[in-house]
Amino acid sequence: MLKNNQNSRKKMQVSFVIRDAEEKRHKRGVNALQLDHNNGRLFSCGRDAIIRIWNTNSNNMDNSYIQSLEHHNDWVNDIVLCCSGRNLISASCDTTVKVWNAHKGFCMSTLRTHRDYVQALAYAKDREQVASAGLDKQIFLWDVNTLTALTASNNTVTTSSLTGSKHSIYGLAINHSGTIIASGSTENVIRCWDPRTCNRLIKLKGHTENIKSLVISADGSHILSGSSDGTIKLWSVGQQRCLQTIQVHSEGVWCLLVNENFTHVISGSRDKKIFMTEIRNPYNSVCVCEETSPVLNMCYNIDYTGIWTTTWNSDIKMWKLPKTDKLSVKSQENSSNLSLNEQQAVAPFNTTEEKLIKGGAAVEKYVVLNDKRFMVTRDTDQNVAIYDVLKAVRVENLGKVDFDEVVKNRNKMVYVPNWFTVDLKTGMPTIVLGQDEVDCFSAWVSATEAGLGVGQAENGSDPKVNYGSLLLQALLEYWPQPMADIDNDIRGNEYFKVPKHTPILFSEVGGRTGCRLLVRDAAGDTESALLHEAVPSWVADVVIDRNIPRFIKIPFFLLPHPVMVKQDRMKKDRLIANEFIQCRKVCEHVLDKILENPTTTGNGTGVNSSQNNSDTSESSQIPAEDKIELLCNDVVCDPSMDLRTVKHFIWKQSSDLTFYYKTKPNFS
Amino acid sequence: MGTNISQLERDIGSDFPANEHYFGLVNFGNTCYSNSVLQALYFCKPFRDKVLEYKMKNKRSKETLLTCLADLFYSIATQKKKVGSIAPKKFIARLRKEKEEFDNYMQQDAHEFLNFLINHINEIILAERNQGKTKIGQGVAISENIQQNTANNSNSNTTANTDPTWVHEIFQGVLTSETRCLNCETISSKDENFFDLQVDVDQNTSITHCLRCFSNTETLCSDNKFKCDNCCSYQEAQKRMRVKKLPMILALHLKRFKYMEQYNRHIKVSHRVVFPLELRLFNTSDDAVNPDRMYDLTAVVIHCGSNTNRGHYISIVKSHGFWLLFDDDMVDKIEQSAIEDFYGLTSDIQKSSETGYLLFYQSRDAEK
Repeated sequence: MLKNNQNSRKKMQVSFVIRDAEEKRHKRGVNALQLDHNNGRLFSCGRDAIIRIWNTNSNNMDNSYIQSLEHHNDWVNDIVLCCSGRNLISASCDTTVKVWNAHKGFCMSTLRTHRDYVQALAYAKDREQVASAGLDKQIFLWDVNTLTALTASNNTVTTSSLTGSKHSIYGLAINHSGTIIASGSTENVIRCWDPRTCNRLIKLKGHTENIKSLVISADGSHILSGSSDGTIKLWSVGQQRCLQTIQVHSEGVWCLLVNENFTHVISGSRDKKIFMTEIRNPYNSVCVCEETSPVLNMCYNIDYTGIWTTTWNSDIKMWKLPKTDKLSVKSQENSSNLSLNEQQAVAPFNTTEEKLIKGGAAVEKYVVLNDKRFMVTRDTDQNVAIYDVLKAVRVENLGKVDFDEVVKNRNKMVYVPNWFTVDLKTGMPTIVLGQDEVDCFSAWVSATEAGLGVGQAENGSDPKVNYGSLLLQALLEYWPQPMADIDNDIRGNEYFKVPKHTPILFSEVGGRTGCRLLVRDAAGDTESALLHEAVPSWVADVVIDRNIPRFIKIPFFLLPHPVMVKQDRMKKDRLIANEFIQCRKVCEHVLDKILENPTTTGNGTGVNSSQNNSDTSESSQIPAEDKIELLCNDVVCDPSMDLRTVKHFIWKQSSDLTFYYKTKPNFS
Repeated sequence: MGTNISQLERDIGSDFPANEHYFGLVNFGNTCYSNSVLQALYFCKPFRDKVLEYKMKNKRSKETLLTCLADLFYSIATQKKKVGSIAPKKFIARLRKEKEEFDNYMQQDAHEFLNFLINHINEIILAERNQGKTKIGQGVAISENIQQNTANNSNSNTTANTDPTWVHEIFQGVLTSETRCLNCETISSKDENFFDLQVDVDQNTSITHCLRCFSNTETLCSDNKFKCDNCCSYQEAQKRMRVKKLPMILALHLKRFKYMEQYNRHIKVSHRVVFPLELRLFNTSDDAVNPDRMYDLTAVVIHCGSNTNRGHYISIVKSHGFWLLFDDDMVDKIEQSAIEDFYGLTSDIQKSSETGYLLFYQSRDAEK
């Protein structure tokens, strides 16, 4: 199952997340909750791709964190706790469903059957059966006991699929005994199947928008649905019709919770409110609380006296519930003559939460600086930070300062090509390296200028380094290479290391993940073997074969400035040089090849990197840049500026860069 | 030719409107794409009036496509005879200079020509207006279709800072596209200007059906997900386009030329699509400026033949209550009932057909 398709023609990309070794707080919204009622452990799955476990019995919620379950690479959309709390099953935008050991907290297996985001799960307790559904319009049924018995060698699993949905599925429910399963989709229709036979049962029409939340009564006779049209509907399966429409929310209803007797529904909505409503008498409704953001999910607390809730922000809160009998009494007094709207104006039952599991801040904005190495970010708490993408670390926390000001102050007039892209979907910067529009080998820089070549630069040479190549070598530093002899086992790069906890992902461009591992784990037998299949050839090329990526050349014209006395050479010389060559090298070329030895020029191959010219420039006392001036668009170019920077900031055209040279007045 | 013209005068008889001229346009070798569109535009009264007004105001400036068009319209409008034909020589010569694609003797797409002409005229007017301030740019292409949204759209409208030209006032409408992220359910909307609406054609339908389909909700999904700023990720979304500002003259382009992979070329879709004499738009946005505009059909450019490269363009126009058919240099009066001959074919068998291709509807409130 973990086997990656070697024959895949899809382009692969490598990405990694810049983060702390342990991230105790959710970074973004929390999509779903599950409470283990045996021990009060709360499972929460987040948009930061991490599932966390909390001890809700703890007196101090700040110490409630137990551990993280990490293996997903994208939003975790739903989780179910099964086998009396022994196992957890999760569904994610990374298109996988994962099976976890909920007690020890490790990933047991990964199901890659879905082809798009997996949005929803449903669990039939009595049959230990789980269903998964998502944007690929598919519903798969899984036998939990089979899933938990999977091993690395015995990893084939059969599944039954429920067909018929032509729309993306956002909501899914099954009853405890597994006799009926219902799906909600952008078709705005509820479709039902019999999971035992996989036969279609009925379709329930009535909602006018997507249906994201569904609950089925234990006996399978009734269904409650929450829709983006703002209504909650009660359906009779037998009569195939809507019995009741509950209209307490002003925006989409995203989550529902029903009590044991199926008499009261608790609903969470985009309108940030949570209501508790008597299903058969919707006028009997109380606003439990008003959250600060749209409500994503809810679950009962350990003794069913309250609910844990999640929203778009990263906090998890516990609110007390009104007693259902009190609810009726209260409403009989107050609501008999009140319209529904007036009733909603009544203050919420809770004003503050009972308990709070504080969430963290998500990075929501970034700018990559001109050096294409450092990145300025701002998080949802308005804190600004600086990241060193090359070393995969956050280097500075600047606090609540002006973001644009920081970008302005830190941007230098230097041009380096883009070599990575940034993704913030998890609230932590994910850096993507690929071979597409953005080629990760496009950035060559001087090691000294990048502050890397401190030890090496003493002999006067200034080696050029390729950012993408160095980073890939650092990311795969611990990967034991195949057939490398012990003496000649070069690992990593000679300049820096990246944090060992950094997660690396190999995935198809715009698609499914092939493998995920931490930098330090590459040494393990399983991971190492996995890497041999997952690592694309362009990565192996620089990491194993230690090949040097190609230099990027830039063509340019070199012309004598009109003020030059010697106007005999009006021929345009078209030259080609590495784009990171500094202007002083062009000056040297002018001095050595054009002015002093004019016969050898004009062959078109032009300035050829450092070695040729360094001898001559050393022999003469005065550097060429003191004798020769280069102009581009009438601007004198700084000798230390490289060609691509001149082209980007001074030439500013797509046509070939053109320089005019002239001798300085004090030199003839 | 002579007999034909006199026949037309005889057909119209004593009802022949004063100050109206019905002149055919000579074909210079596959220039019927231009002739048919020019006739349709000539009988869009607001447009004709503005072009003639331009002629009066601009005494001999530099020759542009607009001065050539103005000269041509002026020459038709000031003919001594009521009927006849004219050679739009100068206009065609100028057109061939202005755009490489038209500089040959091949059949061209009438819609491409209309689109080019309207945009180009508009640019000339804008350039002349800005002449005082800046020198005329080298025909900056003002694309009326604004690029698909980027995260920070500070300048969402390329022409927002300039006052509308008379071309804008006549042809320009505004579409609003609403995109609703299916995850966070946030709606983002964006306006874009248009000079014509391009609609798909289905067999045995009407323009109203085509316009409804145009505004159908499209779901952005699988590999085409929507990058939602709010979610910071790619999510499914529902998108629909509706008309926010209805133009004075509504130009509709029926997409009758479909690229067929199996033939590796464009195939003409001759489906029967009924275009009514009166039209109201129902695919307007909730905040539409003038959703109740009533339109009357004034001109139709008709494609005759079986594909794009071969074939012929003619036009039918409404003038003073009766219908005329312009086929290059020939002009005939036709019965209103004959219009249905140009709806298309009900059978799907590939054969030559004479079908409405560009429709010009004029708002009733435009006739002062």
